[in-house]
Amino acid sequence: MSSERPKLGPDIPKVITAWVSATGRVVYLTKDRNWSEDLADAEVLTGAGATDILAWASKDQTRVADPYFMQVTPDGKVAGRETIRETIRAKGPTNHPMFGKQAGNN
Amino acid sequence: MYRYDEFDETLVRERAKQFRGQVERRLKGELKEENFKPLRLQNGVYLQLHAYMLRVAIPYGQLSAKKLRQLAMIADKYDKGYGHFTTRQNIQFNWIKLAEIPDALEALADVEMHAIQTSGNCIRNVTSDHLAGAAFDELEDPRPWCEIIRQWSTFHPEFSALPRKFKIAVTAATPDRAAVKVHDIGLVMKRNTQGKTGFEVMVGGGLGRTPYIGPTVREWVSKQDLLSYLEAIMRVYNRYGRRDNKYKARVKILVHELGVPEFARQVEEEFANQNAREKVLLPQEEVDRITAYFAPPKFETLSTKSATLDAAIAAEHHFARWCRNNLRAHKIPGYTCVHIALKPQGVAPGDASSAQMRAAADIAEKYAFDDIRVAHEQDLVLPHVKLDDVPAVYAALKANDMHASNAGLGSDIIACPGLDYCNLSNARSISVANEIQALFADPEFEDEVGALHINVSGCINACGHHHVGHIGILGVDKKGEEFYQILFGGRADEKAAIGEIQGPGLRHEEVAPALKRVISKYLELRTSKTEKLADAMTRLGQAPFKEALYAAA
Ligand code: HEM
Ligand code: SF4
Repeated sequence: MSSERPKLGPDIPKVITAWVSATGRVVYLTKDRNWSEDLADAEVLTGAGATDILAWASKDQTRVADPYFMQVTPDGKVAGRETIRETIRAKGPTNHPMFGKQAGNN
Repeated sequence: MYRYDEFDETLVRERAKQFRGQVERRLKGELKEENFKPLRLQNGVYLQLHAYMLRVAIPYGQLSAKKLRQLAMIADKYDKGYGHFTTRQNIQFNWIKLAEIPDALEALADVEMHAIQTSGNCIRNVTSDHLAGAAFDELEDPRPWCEIIRQWSTFHPEFSALPRKFKIAVTAATPDRAAVKVHDIGLVMKRNTQGKTGFEVMVGGGLGRTPYIGPTVREWVSKQDLLSYLEAIMRVYNRYGRRDNKYKARVKILVHELGVPEFARQVEEEFANQNAREKVLLPQEEVDRITAYFAPPKFETLSTKSATLDAAIAAEHHFARWCRNNLRAHKIPGYTCVHIALKPQGVAPGDASSAQMRAAADIAEKYAFDDIRVAHEQDLVLPHVKLDDVPAVYAALKANDMHASNAGLGSDIIACPGLDYCNLSNARSISVANEIQALFADPEFEDEVGALHINVSGCINACGHHHVGHIGILGVDKKGEEFYQILFGGRADEKAAIGEIQGPGLRHEEVAPALKRVISKYLELRTSKTEKLADAMTRLGQAPFKEALYAAA
């Protein structure tokens, strides 16, 4: 069971991801401290300061649930150990191409 | 079917109303997720990869047309037009919005349904034989006892904060179709030496990371004493179950750590020491009242043979195959049980569209005494169909693409949602299941192989029963790649056994070809067609099959 996400050190580029409280949609934290459904809008974080931003995000409970760090490449593409999981989360289920963000109907 | 009284009705409506308030507070920010989570879980609401998920309870897997239509309505209005039937005889909606769940719960309450006891550390939905009340090989209908247990366990204050979730399964037939030996408590109805009907009690079976076959703790307990005895078990569990470690908190660990004789002794002691006030009284009138809800439908007196059916079988090859594989013997002459396999090639096992749910509801109303069951194999069952009506039922199923003729065969795979949906998952299970199904695309080949249970789970939690498949498949994560461990030798029936992991995991694309080699090996080694794969593995041991599994293609 892997409900806990892998620990990501300060040097690993990461974004903060969560679920919209009202709908459960997957979102990513942007630079202006909003949440976007598009990973391309996410702010890529590196360095020790990321933890403070996650702490802030964790308090943004009205808008989102359960924010966590997700590993990305320096230019913000899904990367690392949870690539399959996060790709599925970003796009939608592989067995149901007609559902989810990949189909624009999540 | 059990009907709510005024009290049940009020309670379920109150619950939906309370949840509406809780959701409002959550969305206004008055409740944080961490405080809200236990509340939502008590109403069957999970957060999955893409969305919230609502798990709806289907007590002992029984539905009426009205209920099934309401589930179809919920699928259409609040979800994406389909639902997923689970190994716990429940249904899950994968795309539901939190803000709309209170409406969905109210819609459920309109048809005497809810999502209570589908999550959390309580006694969960009681499961049973999907052929209950119809099977020719059962002693009595077990459903009244499922209902009695349900009523006793729901909102029982002593069971509201158990060390961990608790699952009870009941069967009254010798062939175990409810996998009772892999439940926290398994009950098998049987007669004692005096010929009185009661229950054999098994405690401490389970799957998950530490699978066990439930040992028998008492050979026989009378119906009258059943609830008191169950309560004694729950007390011992409540007192000594490990609350310090979630992975050791299930009753199976307690039974294992204490040893069966000591656990049984403590239960017996607790049971013997219950004073008159503590005994759960089960007046015969109450048993009769509940049993009356499960009165058999008005069967006609019919011949054991149907000329209409025989003619249809002779006329159509595919129909003949479907009859061979999907019909089960009924206790009343002239009737049969129809298995609707929700396992056509390429579909997620257990998924049904709203149109299919409505079709099944219509068929059940017209031909099957308004009775539909969910089988733990993630299929639907019409328990009472007249043989004469079977061709018409088949035609109606076919019109809705529900005529897969593979019940109990290689492509009738159990699979959990896996990494396509589940937040706890390590690897996908649906796509692996679909690739294995494709091995059996040729019906003649599938029939040649015969009875075979292949079960797939996307992680160690074992929601897809991988430990008890003849062939089990467990998804694991290896440095970010999906790998699959293969198990041989599991069984979920009365000879239940936990499968053994064969060796290193295989890559996603290697699984189906490897199983193909195993199946070819079986066809090569079996003594005759009547020796099934599971039997051949028992006779020959697993080594030749393991060799085939890992043989390079
Ligand atoms: C949100 C999705 C799900 C979550 C979070 C979940 C969680 C879990 C967990 C944590 C366990 C392990 C319990 C333990 O070992 O103590 C488990 C077991 C199990 N679940 Fe699920 N599950 C999910 C979906 C399903 C589905 C879809 C099914 C049916 C297809 C199912 C049926 C079962 C069964 C049969 C077991 C093993 C029996 C046992 O408890 O020993 N679950 N689940
Ligand atoms: S077995 Fe694991 S992956 Fe599959 S549904 Fe259960 S928790 Fe999810």
